[in-house]
Amino acid sequence: MEQQKYWSSFGELNQSDAYKKDVQDEFKEELPFEADDKGLLDAKTPRRDFLKYLGFSTAAAAVAASCEMPVKKAIPFANRPEGIVPGVANYYATTYVQDGDAVSVIAKVRDGRPIKLEGNDLSPLTKGGTSARVQAAVLDLYDGARLRFPTIDGKEVTLEAVDKAVADAMAGLNGAPVVLLTSTVVSPSSQEVINQFLAKYPGSRHVTYDAVSYTGMLLANEATYGKRAIPAYRFDKAKTIVSLAADFLGTWLSPVEFAKQYATGKKLDEKNPSMSKHIHFESAPSVTGSNADEKFLHRPSETAAVAAALLSAVNGQAINIADAKLKAGIEKAAKALNENKGAALVVAGSNDVNVQIIVNAINEAVGANGQTINWAAPVNYRKGVDADFAKLVDDLNAGSVGALVVYGANPAYSWYDADKFKAGLKKAKATISLNAKVDETTELCKYVIPDNHFLESWGDAEPQAGYYSFIQPTIYPLFKTRQWQDSLLKWSGATTDYLGFLKGYWSTKLGGESGWNKALQDGVISPAAETIGGASFNGAAVAGAVAAAGAKKAGKVEVVLYEKVGIGQGQGAANPWLQELPDPVTRATWDNYVIVSPAMAKTLLDIDLNDSGEADAYEVMPPKKVVKVTVGKTTVELPALIVPGTEPNTIAIAVGYGRSEKLGKAVVGTGKNVYPFASFNGTAVQFAAADASIEATGEKYPVALTQTHFRYDTAQGNRTEVMKELSLAQFKKHPTEIRDEREKELKPWGGLEKFESQGTIYPVFDRPGVKWGMNVDLNTCTGCGACVVACNAENNVPIVGKPEVMRGHEMHWLRIDKYYSGDMENPKVVFQPLMCQHCDNAPCENVCPVAATNHSSEGLNQMTYNRCIGTRYCANNCPFKVRRFNWADYTGADSFADNQEGKVNDVVMMMNDDLTRMVLNPDVTVRSRGVIEKCSFCVQRLQEGKLKAKKESRPLADSDVKVACQQACPTNAITFGNANSHESAITMVRMDNPNRQFYSLEMLHVLPNVSYLAKVRNTDEMAHEGHGAEKKEGAHA
Amino acid sequence: MSVKYESQLREPLVYGDKTYHQVTEDIVRPIEAKPSKLWYIGFYIAVALLLFGVYSVYREVTYGIGQWNLNKTIGWGWDITNFVWWVGIGHAGTLISAILLLFRQGWRTGVNRAAEAMTIFAVMCAGQFPIFHMGRVWMAFFVLPYPNTRGPLWVNFNSPLLWDVFAISTYFTVSLLFWYSGLLPDFATVRDRAFTKLRKRLYGIAAFGWTGSTKHWQRHESLSLVLAGLSTPLVLSVHTIVSFDFATSVIPGWHTTIFPPYFVAGAIFSGFAMVQTLMVVVRKVFGLEDYITMGHIEAMNKVIVLTGSIVGVAYLTELFMGWYSQNKYEGYTFWYSRANLFSPYGWSYWGMMACNVLSPQIFWFRKMRRNLFVTFFMSVIVNIGMWFERFVIIVTSLYRDYLPSSWSVYYSPSIWEIGFYLGTFGLFFTCFFLFAKYFPTIAIAEIKYVLKTTGESYKTKMDKYENKEVDEFAHAAHAH
Repeated sequence: MEQQKYWSSFGELNQSDAYKKDVQDEFKEELPFEADDKGLLDAKTPRRDFLKYLGFSTAAAAVAASCEMPVKKAIPFANRPEGIVPGVANYYATTYVQDGDAVSVIAKVRDGRPIKLEGNDLSPLTKGGTSARVQAAVLDLYDGARLRFPTIDGKEVTLEAVDKAVADAMAGLNGAPVVLLTSTVVSPSSQEVINQFLAKYPGSRHVTYDAVSYTGMLLANEATYGKRAIPAYRFDKAKTIVSLAADFLGTWLSPVEFAKQYATGKKLDEKNPSMSKHIHFESAPSVTGSNADEKFLHRPSETAAVAAALLSAVNGQAINIADAKLKAGIEKAAKALNENKGAALVVAGSNDVNVQIIVNAINEAVGANGQTINWAAPVNYRKGVDADFAKLVDDLNAGSVGALVVYGANPAYSWYDADKFKAGLKKAKATISLNAKVDETTELCKYVIPDNHFLESWGDAEPQAGYYSFIQPTIYPLFKTRQWQDSLLKWSGATTDYLGFLKGYWSTKLGGESGWNKALQDGVISPAAETIGGASFNGAAVAGAVAAAGAKKAGKVEVVLYEKVGIGQGQGAANPWLQELPDPVTRATWDNYVIVSPAMAKTLLDIDLNDSGEADAYEVMPPKKVVKVTVGKTTVELPALIVPGTEPNTIAIAVGYGRSEKLGKAVVGTGKNVYPFASFNGTAVQFAAADASIEATGEKYPVALTQTHFRYDTAQGNRTEVMKELSLAQFKKHPTEIRDEREKELKPWGGLEKFESQGTIYPVFDRPGVKWGMNVDLNTCTGCGACVVACNAENNVPIVGKPEVMRGHEMHWLRIDKYYSGDMENPKVVFQPLMCQHCDNAPCENVCPVAATNHSSEGLNQMTYNRCIGTRYCANNCPFKVRRFNWADYTGADSFADNQEGKVNDVVMMMNDDLTRMVLNPDVTVRSRGVIEKCSFCVQRLQEGKLKAKKESRPLADSDVKVACQQACPTNAITFGNANSHESAITMVRMDNPNRQFYSLEMLHVLPNVSYLAKVRNTDEMAHEGHGAEKKEGAHA
Repeated sequence: MSVKYESQLREPLVYGDKTYHQVTEDIVRPIEAKPSKLWYIGFYIAVALLLFGVYSVYREVTYGIGQWNLNKTIGWGWDITNFVWWVGIGHAGTLISAILLLFRQGWRTGVNRAAEAMTIFAVMCAGQFPIFHMGRVWMAFFVLPYPNTRGPLWVNFNSPLLWDVFAISTYFTVSLLFWYSGLLPDFATVRDRAFTKLRKRLYGIAAFGWTGSTKHWQRHESLSLVLAGLSTPLVLSVHTIVSFDFATSVIPGWHTTIFPPYFVAGAIFSGFAMVQTLMVVVRKVFGLEDYITMGHIEAMNKVIVLTGSIVGVAYLTELFMGWYSQNKYEGYTFWYSRANLFSPYGWSYWGMMACNVLSPQIFWFRKMRRNLFVTFFMSVIVNIGMWFERFVIIVTSLYRDYLPSSWSVYYSPSIWEIGFYLGTFGLFFTCFFLFAKYFPTIAIAEIKYVLKTTGESYKTKMDKYENKEVDEFAHAAHAH
């Protein structure tokens, strides 16, 4: 169709000469310079034109010479795609899968970009919970270090070329077997794909390799239950939980699921107080141990002896343990287990088959089988058996493997004897890696076809038998990558791609297209009713296992290797959010280190933490003493951190560090690899070494800690206004103890009731309408850090890198404070998430000279970034120290653009490149250098929630507003809502818990809007630090 | 018989057998002569420091406050320490000119000009810190309450920082006016003696057409009194308001009602010490021993021992209250973070105690008060001590406040923080060197007033007039 022609004059219609000339000259008239006709350049500058020339030339010079600004492109949609409204997010159900881990999630997609993951409430396993690593996974999508194209020998090739090359290589194997090496595959359809692939190549086999394997459990279960599988655990049904160093709230098996279950037992009903009892045995401090009601320390080599003793004690026999405290602990644990037969559960983190057999026997004795241990639906998180992989390594070295196809596994980094694996790998005729990044193993492979990120993928997962979770892409693949299943299908000669395969696989099971669509929409398919069943126990192996459990070894110092909540087995190492997430136990970022006990610190490092001078010197200086740890022939030098709660002769080091620099800027200079400290005992890899030597090198290495002091008890008094904790026995005896304490403290100012009005000389304002409030239950908070990373993602909290964290410049809006109390060798631990308290009488507000921070009518303490001039007075005057200052241009949003090279860490620069910035939440301002920022209570979500209610002409409901930390929390420790509403959850939780509720630093009359529920430990102890201190003070006065 | 009372105990304020002309000669000499080598060396060092300071500030403005070693817990460090320190130094000038004028303390005339100049320069230095400690200094004009186009946004009159803006700018303006109005007759003197046309013109402009008419003198006197009246409350208010920056906060160690008098005493203390430092040098270099006499030095040393003891009492009161209140947070700040020598910043507290409280006690001895070396040494010590005081107040309160979880790592300044401080020294001394070269460092006209009452030559020569009757005297004066 011909376009209609519009014209504005006859000249234009006829294209007259005069018109054409006019069009050519943009300025139809001469420029108004009073000059002769020589044109602009030759003109003289008479007096009358002086100002014109001056103006023009100044403007021209200014335009031409103005600072070079970086070009930022924003390209709007030419045609709006269906289903996308700019500025409105879409949500897709998918599944976070990393190696064997699987968590059902909802991906928030804004303008085509996934920017945030939330837990999927429909999943009966994780029930909407997430972990720090799940929250951080979205950043991996935009990781600039991902391999962007297939390679052969490191050179870019097309998919077709690599497929052809692989096909040729496979054809040339001359019958030598193909081995598919993967980490645990939780996807049933992928298992099917693997089967097809193996069928195509006769003699081929599939080896599953887990960096931190659960071989001990798998084999123990085979021996006692006849199943090489891991059952599902039900911590929610257990009234007594005994953990032998299983970090089930942090890293063990499926921590999100377990934290959810665990929290149900820790929620306290004030009217009828009862709690589950958690007794923990460990050698080095863990998240789970920190949460335990009671914790006992033993040496790593004693684990089997402890398990055996516990079995004896449960069976009513006498036990022989030298350490009196430990012995008492075991007896206590046995008693507690026996008291709750059928509602007791014992778990062990050991990878020793014998320990796990003994634990199975204990569970059998306390009636856990079929109650708290569900054999009816075992879990699929870990399937790797170390001996299988050890055999593969031998085969490789023998040259009997034709082609090695690697997906997910990375033994060149994480196998205890990585050099042997690497040597063997070179002997394979063809090496193919399907890993997404050039990790240590992929680096050695000839052919690499990078996998998609899970947010770009199709797929499914079956974390637990019968429970399915689906993966759907939320964005078109960013790079020339291909899902690994597609590669396998292609090489199996299948004609269909993986999507077709997956759809076919599920459509038949779910009854066609609509069932498939529904499953994708929900993200999960679960059995209608939960079946819990046991398995028949065969105790034949127990006696042998007990006999094998020797007494503790004679080694002077023992090493135990552990996983960190953020870094895991090393998968989190390239993720800046996880690297900068303070470890819950040590509050350290960006490094691994040697954890030593205060007792060892005294002898080895010459630091006595009980001496205030030495403690200060240790705490206030980031450089920590470096120690040299030797196990066998392996030596590693790392800085030592003193962590109370460590067994005196044990040191602990986290795995997952010291990765290849090809994984991205975030791994550069972060820690050392300690997998070589592990050992293989013929059946399973042991992550502890009984005989290590340790010596101080005399050098120092800075560690970036976000918290340096961990005790709230000072010589001048116990700061119980900060933190309140007590035992269950105490709470039962004096339920109002905390309330009475508060009442007493505030008595001179009207007591609890009238404190608000009588604690001030100023008038008190009415607060009608919405008043936002938050409550954090310290009883269920496990300190796992999911909220911290969620806050990073939701609020565009910048990453500052190690050198800046070291200087106290980290930007986290939400931090989790950790405090010790009691015995410093084995202290009690409490976690306190601390965000802006949104004080109604905020000390930060009145000191800002330009009113950049002020109070909203809804009780929010709000920050106006573009009003802020950066005096930092508010931060100084904040008693909670939650305000964060932009010390440098961490976000690339500064007026002085692009001048931070060399001033900030490379990681920070990386976080600001165009690709990584795609993860930013467009609803939240990116703060520029020189302004203060802090928790806003996710005000963007509050506005969205209010609008939603308003559009639907109804009052605001709790479900309309969920702040990021609250949503991420796997234990529902955070409650948020309108405190003025009588029905809201926040009002309920405050009404229901009047005796445990407190406000931190309440006596300052800053009137926080964040309340806490005191930590109650399920112990019989009656001494209370608060009382002790009061007595001491009384005596003093 | 003498018509006025004259103390036999007091020393004369001006030594030597001076005539009016000699006074003028003595004081104007440095302006008219070529500066010495020493002056050039000093001046160039000062300019070099200033340039380093400018570069330090440039780095901080372009790359961010992260160029300094402040952190999430310690939001203020050397920046505000130096600010309060310089403001404190800037107190002596006005005190000397205004309060001592009102109290008719004749001895002030020898030192007031230089002391006032020092005040102006110190306040200029002080002003740099609150301005450049801002994260976005290019938005600094937000603190000015003027009708603007930025919507309904207005400054926050609740904020002590805003009070600072007004207090310091008012103080600076009044001090400048006071200083300049005193300079007018002296500029006219220099103008009248000028030997080049340029000098004549420049000093002519500076003298605002002063002719020395009776009307001029009369207005000049009234203006001096009015400005003195205006400045007197300012001497007290400026540091009171600076102390409010801390006193109105909630931080243990800051939240203290004792701060206003304690800060004012401290300010006078450090101001006088700085005047001593400068005067001892100036009188030597320019040969003004006859005008800035031992009597002056001793008087100022007395003020130093008095104010030093006042701050000492304040320190002890704080410590006492830290214990007596039984407030564990204050107790910790005062008894652990400060008074415990072995805590991380214990050295700064005891440094402060030694410099400010213990060492000035030496001035109870007259010999020491009149010893130039001791005076100079002590004046430097006192200013070091007063710097420690501000550092102690700011850093030791902040680094360990309420939540033990937020306790800070050790704070020590970066090279650019130090550079900024050195830069203000550069600014101060650059200004002072220029002042010493181009301005009469002693108020010529005012010295001539006191010459009437205490100058030795005047006394001997005027004896005969003093014994005359009033009529006779008037007649003789006319003839003269």
